Parts: sequence; C-alpha cells; structure tokens
Amino acid sequence: MTILTRALHALLILALVVFGGFPIYWMAVTALSLNSELYNTGQVWWPQIGNLPMLMADLANVPLVRWLANTGIVAVGTTVLSLTLGALAGYALSRFRFHGKGVIGFLLFMTQVVPEALILVPLYAMFISLGLLNSLGGLILANVGFSLPVAAFIIKGAIDAVPYEIEEAATIDNCPRFGVLTLIILPIIAPSLAAAAVISFFAGWNEYLFAATFLMDNTQWPASVGLASFIGQYETPLSAVMGAALIFSLPAVVFFLIIQRKIVAGITSGAVKG
Amino acid sequence: MTEILLRADAKTPVARSALGGIKWRGLLPYVFIVPPVLYLAVFMFYPLGRQIWLSFTNTRLMNPNRSEFTGLNNYERLFADPEFYMALQVTVIYSALAVILGVTVGMIAALALNRPFPGRAIVRAVLLFGWACPNVAASLVWLWMFNERSGVLNTIVTGIGLDRVAWLTTTQMALPSILLVTVWQVAPFVMLVMLAALQSVPEEVKEAARVDNADSLSVFRAVTLPHVMPTLQLVSLLVAVWSIRRFDIIYLLTGGGPIGSTSTLIVKLRQVAFENYDLGLASAYGVIGLILALTVAVIHALFTRHRLKRSQQ
Repeated sequence: MTILTRALHALLILALVVFGGFPIYWMAVTALSLNSELYNTGQVWWPQIGNLPMLMADLANVPLVRWLANTGIVAVGTTVLSLTLGALAGYALSRFRFHGKGVIGFLLFMTQVVPEALILVPLYAMFISLGLLNSLGGLILANVGFSLPVAAFIIKGAIDAVPYEIEEAATIDNCPRFGVLTLIILPIIAPSLAAAAVISFFAGWNEYLFAATFLMDNTQWPASVGLASFIGQYETPLSAVMGAALIFSLPAVVFFLIIQRKIVAGITSGAVKG
Repeated sequence: MTEILLRADAKTPVARSALGGIKWRGLLPYVFIVPPVLYLAVFMFYPLGRQIWLSFTNTRLMNPNRSEFTGLNNYERLFADPEFYMALQVTVIYSALAVILGVTVGMIAALALNRPFPGRAIVRAVLLFGWACPNVAASLVWLWMFNERSGVLNTIVTGIGLDRVAWLTTTQMALPSILLVTVWQVAPFVMLVMLAALQSVPEEVKEAARVDNADSLSVFRAVTLPHVMPTLQLVSLLVAVWSIRRFDIIYLLTGGGPIGSTSTLIVKLRQVAFENYDLGLASAYGVIGLILALTVAVIHALFTRHRLKRSQQ
C-alpha cells in the first residue's frame, strides 16, 4: 500500500468510528454535564467524571431500578419460553422429515415479515378476554411469537452441524429421543444456544410497542416505556435521562459484542434482530 | 432464508444419515413440532388472520363487538385517500434509501475492516454500537443531538458557519434525519455479515488473479463481489423488510410528522387505529404493508432460485 491509500484508509476508519461511536459517547458526556451547560453556556465536549455524584443523586429520583426489574422479568421470560419451544422446533426441523415441514419452515420465516403493529390490536383484544392485559406475562407471550422462530432457526442450524452418529449410539442404548435432545444435543450446541438466548433476551429487553400498549399501570412499566415517557417531559434533568438511557443500553451493547460472530453464523439460516 | 431452510431436507449429508435412524411416518416428529407451532398459531397467526379479517369490516376501537362485514369498502376508502398514497410513497422511499445507504455504508465499512491494522478489534466493536443500542435509548440520544437550539449537530453546523437546521420539524429534513439514524442502526449489521462473507473469499483465487496482473479493483469486481453477492442480496432483503416494519424510532423521533412526511404505512396504521379509532381502515393499511414486505421477500426468493439454476448449468 502506498502512503496515500494508507492515509485514506485511516481517514475512512476514523470517519466510521466517529459516526458509529459518537451517539453513545454523547450519552455519556451529556449524563455527566450540568443542565446549565446543556442549555445555556454551551455543551462541554468531554465527560466530566466529577459530576458523577450529582448524576447518581438525580438518578435516585427516577424509578430506574423498578423499570429495570420489570425489563429483566420480561427478558428472562421471553428467553426461557423462546429457547424451550425453539429447541423443540429446531430439533424437529433438523432431524425429521414429516408432512408439512416445508409449510412450517415458511410460516416460521413469515413471522419475521409481520410488523408488530399489525397484530397489536387483536392481541390486545385477546389479552383483555384472557385477563393478561396490564401484566408482564402477557407481554412475554406476545414477544415470544417473534423471538421463538429466530431461536428455532439458530438451533436448527447448529443441530444440522452435529453428526447424526452421536445420536444413533444413544438411541441404540434405548435413550428416549427427548433425552437425546436435552442430554446429548443441547450441550454440544451450547454456544449457539447462548447466542439464541442473548438474542431472545434483548428482544424482550428492548421491546417497546407491545409494552407501551399493553401496560397502563406505570408500576409495571419496563425501562423502554419508562425511558420513552421522558420524551416531551422536562421535569427530569436531561443528564439523568441520558444516564438512565446509558445504563439501559450497556448490557445490550456488551452482550451483542460478545455474541456478534455467532449471529453471523445464524443469519444464513434465518432472520435475526431487527 | 426459507430456501435455505427448505433445501436442508434429505439432500444434506446429515439428514441422509438420519434416514437410517428415524421412522418418518411415526408421530414422533409431531411431538416436537406441535408445541411451537401451536404457540405461533395462537399468538401470531390467529391475531394476524384476525387483523386481516378486520380490514374487511367496519370495526371501531371503541365498540369492537358491533361490527359488520363491509367487503372491500376499507380498501376503496384507502385507494381514494391521498394520505394513503403519501404513506405508501414514504414507505417505499424510506425503505429503498435505507437499503441503498445502509448497505453501501456497511459494505464500505466491511471492506475497510477486511485488512489488518492496529486496533481493528476495538474499531469493530465501536462500529457495532448503533446496532446493539436499544431503539428507545437510540431515539432519546438522537432526539437530543437533533435538538434545534442546543443539540450538538446544530452546534457543529453553526460552528462551520451554516444556519441552524430544523432536523426533525420540517418536511424536507425529517425523513433524511430519520434515515441518518436508520443507517447508524443498520450499517453495522450489514458490516458484520459482509465482513464474514469477505473473509470466506478463497485467498488462492484472489492470488491467482493478482498473478495475472489484475489490479485490486478488478480483483474485487471479478472475484470478491461475485463471491459475496448472495450474502449481499440476503442482507439487502433483511434491511428492506425491517425498514417496512420499522416503528419505534420513527414513532419516537417524529411520530410520523411533520404533515405525514415520515409516516410510513406502519406508523399510519397505529395512528388510524388509536387516534381515529378506525380499526377497519387501520387494518387495511397494515395489510398493504405486509403485502409490500412479502413482495420484497418473493423477489429475493426468485433471484436466489435463478442463481441456483444458473450455477447448476
């Protein structure tokens, strides 16, 4: 490479890093700024760690812990249900041939094309009659419809790569097929299961539209709805809003960075996080 | 996606060896497949079917039980409504530009990261922030950055001597601003997938082309690009479908405004349902959105089949 292409390459990388990283950086800088700086004297460009105690004091006035606890319940519920049902579907699609397999594969794919907003009203009506409106349980049931197929695709892809001979040996030893799945296959594909778990977990963590529609009671709000309620509201200092947004984002960012390569492997067999 | 799924039948080595071990006609497969399928039937396809049915009725949100079948009436109202054509236009323009810009920026980033340099792992992590950041948090920080009076983007704009920009509140700027956020979210994903595809290009073929004195641009065109083309098409399909479905960031940043300039079919669906209480018409908006997304998926499937046929010849 010549000096010129080297310099251009470095410049391009720099531009991409600024574009990709700036909003998160700005969350942190804003969280550590004084409101007077944000609106009057002009923005400071560097994070001022000295303002951390002030930020903590402001955050104490935001029900962030309760929101995050609700978010955690939704995320865990979505993950457990998606993985359980996804493992069953993934195993069947990988190891068996049966009538309707093509149709089922197509239907699983279809779920990734359906906009959430399109099934919002019928789900709402259904949850009223089932008494699931205004409950985190109903929210979990709605979320799983979208994350189960993704988990199924990832698990199917992983099981495809496991040699069938391993199972044959177990079947000869009279191990029931369900035992084959839970005791032999699932441990082998643990990394893919972890990827599917992270994707389901953060689908539940990030979800906004269902939560904003199904939960009227603000003690039930997950963090996504709580944070969105700051929009157009000026009582909470902006620094606290950005601090809360940062705390809400960090787990998602960290875990997605950890499993990024697994997601690429999953993408060839299904649609992932949208 | 589906075609990959459907192809993985008996033809793959794994499944062929499975032929020996499993009774196909038994009930066993259904023990596994029925619970997830039942689940989706109840919580996904029943509501979906119900919503499609609603589009043929005059149901109102306030008294959902008093409704009657009105045939294609909602669709007639839809096709006579200038707001529908506006929403359709916004959806198509937004999705097309999201694909073009998102895939271009993502591909450029993938190419830039496909050669080793110091700090590559950190750069790669930073570039993924937009993809990993939750929609609501992303909307909050971008709203603040777009703030007309005190936002950092206008600080920069006025700093280089230009006038303040009303990022989200004028019909000219709102959609471009939303697209900027969309590219920030989508391009990292494109980069991630394309980077993996680029790294699977066989080095020997590139080497052979270089020995034949091909410059790097022709190596890219003749070797690299054809190799990654299927992945590029798949990623474009995903970005297109996601853009047609996208709700959160548009709703939170502009609510569809100003004057409907960022109101895609899906944002419009919510507005008609919850502000005009007109479930029938809202459902018709949704059905058109779904058809649009399915059309994109079918076009992609046809492309893939065409390529498979050609590669078999």
